[in-house]
Amino acid sequence: MATTVLNSTESPSYPEPTPIVLTKLLDQNEKWAEAHSELFPMGPQTPKVLWFGCADSRVPESVITDSIPGVIFTQRNIANQFHPEDDSAVSVLAYAVEHVKVEHIIVVGHTDCGGVKASADTAATQSPPFSRATALERWLATLTEFAWSVGPGSDITELVEANVRLQVVNVLSSEVLEHEWKLRDVHVHGWVYDLATGKLRDLGISAGRKGPVQY
Amino acid sequence: MTSTFLPSPPSKILSDLLNRNEKWTEANSGLFLQETQSPKVLWIGCADSRVPESVITNFEPGMIFTHRNIANQFHADDDNAISVLIYAVENPKMRVDHIIVVGHTRCGGVEACCKAAQADDSPPANALQRWLAPLTEFARNNGLGGDLSALLEANVRMQVDNVLKSEVLEREWGIRDVHVHG
Repeated sequence: MATTVLNSTESPSYPEPTPIVLTKLLDQNEKWAEAHSELFPMGPQTPKVLWFGCADSRVPESVITDSIPGVIFTQRNIANQFHPEDDSAVSVLAYAVEHVKVEHIIVVGHTDCGGVKASADTAATQSPPFSRATALERWLATLTEFAWSVGPGSDITELVEANVRLQVVNVLSSEVLEHEWKLRDVHVHGWVYDLATGKLRDLGISAGRKGPVQY
Repeated sequence: MTSTFLPSPPSKILSDLLNRNEKWTEANSGLFLQETQSPKVLWIGCADSRVPESVITNFEPGMIFTHRNIANQFHADDDNAISVLIYAVENPKMRVDHIIVVGHTRCGGVEACCKAAQADDSPPANALQRWLAPLTEFARNNGLGGDLSALLEANVRMQVDNVLKSEVLEREWGIRDVHVHG
């Protein structure tokens, strides 16, 4: 009998029924595609917006803005971070701005963010230097350091907002935007999604190549 | 305020999103009673605007923990994706049972790798090239530079492999099973 070595050309065969959640995902997708056949075949994407949001399952950008596919180019990661040394986020920004030519970048935080809470907890119970042993600790390191510098007693929502402001600054300081601003303006915004009401709130910190922008 | 040439007034795009959000919250007020998320699935997909996981599966908020990047990659040295995996799998309130890597047709990232694989081999010059370097190298080594759909599928298989080989899963499998799909 062949040994069951998992490689990219073999299918595993587990004697288990297909998990219900997978069946549901595929069934619902089929029904959705049939109900929205007018969208297909889908041509090239022309979204005007890049969304840097949280991986949190409760904040699916296209559902909460009732947007059809093709509207929002999206990176979602833990606590909606934009780190200048992170090739993942920087490549998303580069592709969105230079190839797809989005006009707006929105950093979206949300209430009850687990990543923000984790940073706050670490800052409240430990002192710098904070552990960078795991990828998650390294990922949240700058946010944890920020939470520590602000001091204990910060409301989590205040920290969520401050986090959004920090990431907006990071995006505004990026080389990608510095280059693109020579050709055209691109605006960056900071929003917070409230899980209690489902509503998005603009923090009013928008900026472009000439500085703050008011709408 | 600067006058920049944009095809539509700058505020309309944003106000459209915010207006639609408001109408959506009014139509879905029953959703906002849940306090914590308990998704059973982690979706690793592409940043492409045409592939919003919850829309195309018609799943409500709270169901799909989501990571999206260029060409749905999972790299062993990427703190971004690995931190998502750690949170989804290890966090006591989460503990997803299934991880799904989802590629899609007409993927610009995969197309870029096809082109780069057919061009001269030169070191990556920027973040996007570094990000796509493993897939480009794979395309070059396997002669897939001219076959977009083959590379697309091979890419999903590669990323599934990468997730299966992760330290995160190795550790978690000591406690419970977690399945990975493509």
